[in-house]
Amino acid sequence: MHRMSDNETNGINKHQPLSPAVFAILLALAGGEKHGYAIMKEAAEPAGGAIKLGPGTLYGTIDRMIRDQLVEETGYTDDARRRYYRITSLGHRVFSAEFSRIGNIVRAPRHNALPKGARA
Amino acid sequence: MKPPNPILFALYRSFLRLYPWRLRLLYQDQLLQTARDAHADSTSSIHFWPSLFADLLKSAVKEHLFMIRDQVIARPIFFHALTIGLILTLMGGSAAATFQQMLRRGANQPQIQMAESYSAEIASGVKPEEAIPRNNVDLERSLEPFAIFYDDQGTPTTANGYLNQSIPSPPRGVFKYLRSHDTDTVTWQPQPNVRIAAVIHRVAGPNPGFLLAGRSLRLVEEQESLFSRMVFLGWFTLVFLLIAGAALLHRFQRRNRALA
Repeated sequence: MHRMSDNETNGINKHQPLSPAVFAILLALAGGEKHGYAIMKEAAEPAGGAIKLGPGTLYGTIDRMIRDQLVEETGYTDDARRRYYRITSLGHRVFSAEFSRIGNIVRAPRHNALPKGARA
Repeated sequence: MKPPNPILFALYRSFLRLYPWRLRLLYQDQLLQTARDAHADSTSSIHFWPSLFADLLKSAVKEHLFMIRDQVIARPIFFHALTIGLILTLMGGSAAATFQQMLRRGANQPQIQMAESYSAEIASGVKPEEAIPRNNVDLERSLEPFAIFYDDQGTPTTANGYLNQSIPSPPRGVFKYLRSHDTDTVTWQPQPNVRIAAVIHRVAGPNPGFLLAGRSLRLVEEQESLFSRMVFLGWFTLVFLLIAGAALLHRFQRRNRALA
């Protein structure tokens, strides 16, 4: 079993909590490499986070994620105007950590604290 | 695939200039292609275009802010220089504005004294032609103060200030204002290139009317203009020295880091 070093843990922690846009992009790319519009479409789906990303927001966020080494270009393209992106191993770890963090929040027993009308 | 409206698409393409230059260079083609794809799948153009432009504007602002933040982190010296420059600009700007206000207010002297004195005399029964001195001031050339008395209808009756051999009158609105307020201080431009610092009093008593005391603003405006040029030169030199100093320090620090 791989045990994370302190450096690795710090590297992951500095990205948390993820912004909704970053989380939706990682979620979309966790299912395989995609081009910008495919990411946008998947993020807009309820299962993808229901995040409406416009092209401006999408590519600005992708640019920062490339710099943070969370995603990378695959180099594959079926059209010069459509480039494909994939999640990196650091991106995977950050995404898993965020997923667990949200999972812990959702699973925590706090029936009394839930707002009226919310479903546990 | 339904093609997007060519005019709106061209507008979107030109609006991409709002995006930071580096991002535009890297992602322009992808941005346009994604917009085309999204348009092809959209069900309503009425909603599609506004949301596309709103996203572009929002993200352009956001990306510029991110860019500034990144530059600040990468070059803290420039950030400090910028902060110092901003503080000095604000301080210098307020001092310059205060000084200009003082100059302009100073230009109302001795008119305030003249207007008070002449209007009090006229209100006590002295005829305007006896209260106002008999010298002749050319408003276009002279820097001397002058006085004009207007009757209750705003018609000039007595004056020692003339412009093109006639007595000028301020806009009617000035008299209207004075009927409800006893005094007013205005910058009056009876003709281009002639600007007057005027103090006007409402006069009651046996000779009701308005007493205007004025003086050319030429000298004050020349001083203001000279002062503005000096302030700009000082500010420019200061900013230049700050930027040059920050650049030198940045270079020095980088060389030291490289040697270490």
